[in-house]
Amino acid sequence: MEEQNNTPQEEGRLTNAQLELQADSQGPTEVKRITYSRLIARRFFRQRSAVIGLVILIIMILIAIFGPFICAYDYTEPDFTALNVAPNARHWFGTDGGGFDLFACVVHGLGRSLVIGITYSLLTTVIAATVGTAIAYMRGWGEKVGMWLLDMLLVIPSFLLVAMIVRASSGTQGWIMLIIGLTAFGWIGYARTLRTMALSLRERDYVRAAKYMGVPSFKIIVRHLIPNLGSILIIDTVLGVISGINSETAYSFLGLGIKAPDTSLGYLLSQGSSAMLSAPWIVLIPSAVLIVLCVSMQLIGDGLRDAFDPYSRAAGSVGDQEDEKKDEQENADAEAQTIELH
Amino acid sequence: MARFIWYITKRILSYIVMIFVATSLTYFLACAFMSPRSNFESKTPRPPQDSIEASLDRTNLNDKTPVLERYQRWLGGILTQWDWGMSPDGDSVNSQIAGRISASVELMTLATVLSIAIGVSLGVYTAQRQYLWQDRFWSGLASVFMVIPTVVLAILVVFFAIEINQQTGARVFYVTGLSSYTGDNMFLAFIDFLQHILLPTIVLTIISAVGYHLSQRTYLLDEMHADYVRTARAKGLTKKQAIRKHALRASLIPTSVQVAFSIASIFTGAVMTEKIFAIHGLGEYFINCINNNNINGAVAVAAFSGACTLVGALMADLFAAALDPRIKMS
Repeated sequence: MEEQNNTPQEEGRLTNAQLELQADSQGPTEVKRITYSRLIARRFFRQRSAVIGLVILIIMILIAIFGPFICAYDYTEPDFTALNVAPNARHWFGTDGGGFDLFACVVHGLGRSLVIGITYSLLTTVIAATVGTAIAYMRGWGEKVGMWLLDMLLVIPSFLLVAMIVRASSGTQGWIMLIIGLTAFGWIGYARTLRTMALSLRERDYVRAAKYMGVPSFKIIVRHLIPNLGSILIIDTVLGVISGINSETAYSFLGLGIKAPDTSLGYLLSQGSSAMLSAPWIVLIPSAVLIVLCVSMQLIGDGLRDAFDPYSRAAGSVGDQEDEKKDEQENADAEAQTIELH
Repeated sequence: MARFIWYITKRILSYIVMIFVATSLTYFLACAFMSPRSNFESKTPRPPQDSIEASLDRTNLNDKTPVLERYQRWLGGILTQWDWGMSPDGDSVNSQIAGRISASVELMTLATVLSIAIGVSLGVYTAQRQYLWQDRFWSGLASVFMVIPTVVLAILVVFFAIEINQQTGARVFYVTGLSSYTGDNMFLAFIDFLQHILLPTIVLTIISAVGYHLSQRTYLLDEMHADYVRTARAKGLTKKQAIRKHALRASLIPTSVQVAFSIASIFTGAVMTEKIFAIHGLGEYFINCINNNNINGAVAVAAFSGACTLVGALMADLFAAALDPRIKMS
């Protein structure tokens, strides 16, 4: 940015400060000031695929919340008059061999998947961000011991440990244990990646300045290191939901996750896979729901990535080049005011 | 060179310590969470108490023995006789695992080779055509396959295979196991093997080729915009030559790290695919161990896969050193 600090005569090559002054003098009608978060939101909504993903996700969430109210059947109450029937007017998604209404099961499973995916993703991000940056910040012995611990936790197959913990729990509490188990071992690899990213951050001047001013380490980590990883953390939280959903499906399918009387999409798949020939809808409908759910999250994640990327097309063609560069610098400060010319 | 060997030795030693600690930890956790006793108590008719205790003592799984004492016996067996203990039924874990590793290797080798070949070449292909329709198509397809759960993908593949079988009226594909032919004809046995292995290979190849494709694309794109590639172009190389001779090599370094870990994972098998296609490999054994409270078996698989991961890490270091001149120098 220093290089562009030249004479104000050259139009379009003003510094940001000069641009701001200029903008101020033109009065509030010419320039609309928006916050960083609004800028990102605007860039996000510029992308059609991201908006489609978001709409699908919102519809999915609404179905998961209000589905049980519009469905005449409960996922725990079998309808013995209709065993293994194909989708029809009474049972929208058909029923399985036990007479359970598949629509009710899918709605409940969708809710489970969403809750597990979102909670897992939020928890792992918080833990991984704190631990990863803390290890990077500590240096010396703390860093060595921390890295060794992370390496070791990677060697233990987390699959085994999660499965053991979840299997020991009861049917109705299984999903909580599944979240705990997945989270307990899901943050490790992620923390390693974040540590690598934080390595360059810890050398920054503002971190050193804060340190010499006597700001406590924990505060530096929370105030300076973690917000600087902000955009990565947000994107990874969205994509983390997908891996949470995938894990839930895998564990439940293997009979190590959610089990009866509770139900989930993975559990439905495992039930349906044995009757694939006689009742294909039991397998195909949860599969379709899972695919739509995961792809919508992926679209949102991609959209967010482009929105945060100052060089992507989502920045739009109207924006001044200087603004785009500025965004990158101001990732840190979500409160900072940015200007976008119109 | 001497420094290099010293470095490798140091790494191996620290890995051995790591495996030891991790395996011991897994053993204690498994002892805390799994209850082989329930295997016997849930049998009908319930065997007499004395016989339960005797079976548990014989397999060193009795939870009435202090866990440290069991640990000592278990560790002693491994260190002196390489005996990883017994399952609750009294079978030797060593012999159970040995057979299953070969099934996993049979399943994984082809899929790993195919996925690396397809994934890396697609990555190189799409990176050179960034933002063109080929790139959009393949990368879009890859990101969809990336997020579909393995179970769903495998189930859909099975579903369509069964449809094809029904349409043609013949068993074109087998959806379970690795072989069913029992005759002596080598050719027929091979065809039979292909019919079995095709579907799981498709699933495994798609899953891992997608990862290779997307990451290779990113790596090559990063390198294509590097200064040295521009220098190469400025010296008169065509874009293709510059990419092939300069950018490609550098972009293969991070890929080689992935390859190293994939090679190691050939031996540990694939849990989901083996379960769905009923292939009796190590992944399926692992699930069975967890479901049957087979502490010794689960810990042995955990130790084995830990060892494979670390061998993979070591290979990754060596690959990177072989490809990256900067590492060789330091």
